[in-house]
Parts: sequence; structure tokens; C-alpha cells
Amino acid sequence: MSELSRDALLGIVRDVWERHDPVPEHLVTSMQAVAALAASDLDVELMELVEQASELAGARGSSSYTLRFVHGDTDLLLRVAVDGDRSRVDGWVVPPEPMTVRALPEQTPARHAAVVTDTGRFELTDLPLGLLRLRLEPHDATRPAFATPTFEI
Amino acid sequence: MSGHGSGRPAGGGAPGGTSTRAREVWAEATDGFNRWVAGDPAGLDDLVGVMTPVLWHVVRSYRLPESAAEDVIQTTWLALVRRRAAIVDAVAIGGWLTTTARREAWRVAQGDGRALPVADDELEPRIPAQRSAEEAAVEQDEGDRLWSAVDGLPERCRRLLRIVAFENRPDYRELASDLGMPVGSIGPTRGRCLAKLRVALMQTGHGTDGHHRGGERA
Repeated sequence: MSELSRDALLGIVRDVWERHDPVPEHLVTSMQAVAALAASDLDVELMELVEQASELAGARGSSSYTLRFVHGDTDLLLRVAVDGDRSRVDGWVVPPEPMTVRALPEQTPARHAAVVTDTGRFELTDLPLGLLRLRLEPHDATRPAFATPTFEI
Repeated sequence: MSGHGSGRPAGGGAPGGTSTRAREVWAEATDGFNRWVAGDPAGLDDLVGVMTPVLWHVVRSYRLPESAAEDVIQTTWLALVRRRAAIVDAVAIGGWLTTTARREAWRVAQGDGRALPVADDELEPRIPAQRSAEEAAVEQDEGDRLWSAVDGLPERCRRLLRIVAFENRPDYRELASDLGMPVGSIGPTRGRCLAKLRVALMQTGHGTDGHHRGGERA
């Protein structure tokens, strides 16, 4: 009888666990998203969440809530509306300032970016559900970009 | 190498044995880390892709429920991003991650009141799970026999061997403190656990013909 080597035994242990307790299918992808979002925090200044309020859920599984972030003299008010598996964000920057707002991660930057209007308003539509953060890039190049912490829709 | 480790189905054991594959995983992790630090975001993606499955098995060895295990793994990745600057030795990134995950898993498991074995008498075999006659009959399957051998190990052996199987040469000193064991006992304990597994496999009729790799059956 051949005696199983240490490596062979550990190989069996690994095969057995991979079969009986496999890594959940979504786990790698969601951890990649978490890490990428956290890493994108490294090079921007973070806004602070100062208020969060949810509104009553509407019909057909729709719901909405508001978030308020502050950074320096800039206030950012967000109304997040969820409808089914998509969401939209209506934002209001106070005081109004020309800037581009991007939803991160930037897999589809063209679709999920908006320029703030003269009145400080912007909207991002057809956003997927999940982890999200917004990056605000002032058109005044002397002002650094800043971003909201990650929040979940 | 794209998609490597991303939800790869179970049973994909590499032919080279544990240490070879673990070394490959560790080398890929180091490569990903280096590219990320150099400014390539895809490096972080690859690092997470190759190490998340390892972290899963290490963390789950603490018997945490799936959601708690996922939280521990997320905490580990956030810690990596936050403390990136403090990680000087890129070659040791795999060990840094598994150690961080083990500590967090240990902390969470204790906080839950999920008592972890500390005494040496934990080396006594666990009481086998009750099986119905049907289950016993179906157990003729090779995979089930392997599973019952591993599953029937004492709790400490299950955990220790699972960790050792998925890690590349874990640091015994850290492992000892994480498992609540004396440093000097890890090596002997591992040896005894491997011996127990060898015996259990023989008792279930496995390994008597020198054919031992479950992954080769397909």
C-alpha cells in the first residue's frame, strides 16, 4: 500500500473543501468592486455624510431616500430613487459651481456622468443597484476633486 | 490569467500538489500587488481575484456563517487598501492577507460566542454526523468517502489542515497565537492530524491502490 504524502493529503483536503464549501459565485466580483472603490478613496478628498433620511416606500417596490454630504463650503444633497433594479440620483450642489459629477466605479463613465447646471442641479439616471460613490470634479482646475464615501443603493 | 480564481468551480486541483499551486497563487498575488502599487488598477483586481478564494477557505475554517465570512473578507481587503503604504514586503502579501483575515475571523468568532477549541483533548474525534441508511449507501461515491474522512476529523484538525492546505507555508508563530495553541505544538499537531486523515482515508477504503487524487476522477 502506498502511503499518501503530505502534499497528496493536503491536496485531498483542498479538493474536498472546494467541492463542499465552494467560494460563493458573486464573492470575487463583489470584493473586486469593494477594493476598487476603497482604492479610489486614496487620491481624492472625502466628503462627509451629515444626514440620511428615507422616505416611505412607494408602490411597485420603488423607494427613495435623501443623503446630504459636506466638504468645506460645499453642500451636496442627493435624492436617490430606486425603481426595480435601476436607480436614479438627483443632486443639488450648494453653492452652485461648474463641475462634473461621475458615478464610480467608472465602468461606463459616459453614461454615468453629468455636469452641474447653473442652479447647482444634476441628475444621473439608469444607475445599477449596488455600491456607489460620486466624484465631484470642479471645472476650476485649481480646486481638487472630492468624492462621497461609498453608499449602497 | 484573466478570470483566474473568479468563482472557479470546485475540484480544479492542479496536478502539481498543494505547495506548487499555493506558490503559484502567492506569486500571482505579489505580481498583482506590485502592479497596483505602480499605478495599475488591474493589479488590484488580479490580487483580489486570486486571493479571495484562499481567504474564503481560511475564514470559513472558523465556522463562520457565509455572511459573516464575507464581512471578514471585505474587512481584510479594506485593511489592505488603507494600510497599503505600510506593506513593504510585496512577496509576503499573501501571508499578510491570510493573517489579517484569520485574526478578524478569530475576533468575530469569539465575539459571537462561537467558542473555539483550545484544549488538547479537542484532538478527540468528533461524533460523526448521523446518517440515514440511504445516505450511507450513496456514500459509496468516492467524493463522499473523501468528504467523510475530512469531515470526521477532530475540529482542530479540520481547521488546521484546511488552513495549511490553502496557505503557502503559514507562519507557525502567528498561526499558533491565532489558533490559541502553543507555538511548538503546531508542527506536531499538523503531523498528528495528517496521520489521522491518512487512517480515516484507509478506513473508508481510500488510498489502498495508490490512486488518491479526487480531482482526477472526472
